[in-house]
Amino acid sequence: MSLLSFALWIQSTTFFTELRLSSYVYPIVLTGHIVGIAVFGGAVLVTDLRLLGWAMQKYPIAAIAGQLRPLKRAGFVLVAICGLLMLGSKAEEYYFNVFFRWKLIFLALVAVHALVFRGSVYGRLEEIDQAPHIPARAKAAGWLSLALWIGLIIMGRAIGFVLPPDDLHAQTRSPDVTAVQAP
Amino acid sequence: MLFAGLDSLNGSELISPALQSIHIAGFVFSIGTIALTDFSMLGLVLRGHSPSGIAKSLMPWTLVGFTLVLLSGGLLFMSDPDEYYLNRAFQVKMTFLLLALIFHYTLHARVARKDAPSVFARLVALISLGLWVGVLAGGIFIGFA
Repeated sequence: MSLLSFALWIQSTTFFTELRLSSYVYPIVLTGHIVGIAVFGGAVLVTDLRLLGWAMQKYPIAAIAGQLRPLKRAGFVLVAICGLLMLGSKAEEYYFNVFFRWKLIFLALVAVHALVFRGSVYGRLEEIDQAPHIPARAKAAGWLSLALWIGLIIMGRAIGFVLPPDDLHAQTRSPDVTAVQAP
Repeated sequence: MLFAGLDSLNGSELISPALQSIHIAGFVFSIGTIALTDFSMLGLVLRGHSPSGIAKSLMPWTLVGFTLVLLSGGLLFMSDPDEYYLNRAFQVKMTFLLLALIFHYTLHARVARKDAPSVFARLVALISLGLWVGVLAGGIFIGFA
């Protein structure tokens, strides 16, 4: 089964068809997605700004990073669940969307970033707190994380500005309009 | 069109997604940092640190966020005032925004300054979170109205 045929199948299931056609549930899911972004993104942002020495300087980096972790996890779960619901309901459209692909690449880079800096920064925050200055590698981790997040936001927002292909198989909210448009 | 120059915002394909991206980054700064204060008032994060200290140290970044959000939002609005002004979701969003801002700078500010955990402080934190979720929901529904 190819990825595209999987996308076509999943969006045609009753659950995702109803989700796509509902005029209230879909924007509520999207609201959940951005509420999660505010919580998850906000916690990541504060951690990054602390690593750069720009915010909450009186608080140990280890305390900020450690205590915000549950909040990041909760925010991430909300973002991911709502994101997957939207993906499933318009799987075919996302499959063809170039910015959705870029967003996935940025998400992968966020994971790579966490792995790369785990040994040198995120796993040694107590040590960094005791250093007289914030080491360059910690600042690099903060800068890169900020850049990746900004990229993620831009790619996510750009998804909505790409016109879907004309010949989508998904049943849309107003079948009359598509009937008129069809040759 | 409020200012003739702003009509040129409609001329570029890149300007709307750019402004909307700044708008999102701005509310991550502003609502993200306010939510952090609220969660600490609820005793969910940064336990052992006073909510007043957290609110105070995050304040400059909340203001950075407000500035980004208001500038980008203002430009988005002025690029198509009729479209927004008549939009029911936009009116709801602006109502929530006004309430959220008034609440943030009055009762919320006063309660966040007191560090003793209380049921009242938790209630204030929950109302704050609720009002900001209302602003975000209103913003999303603009595109669906």
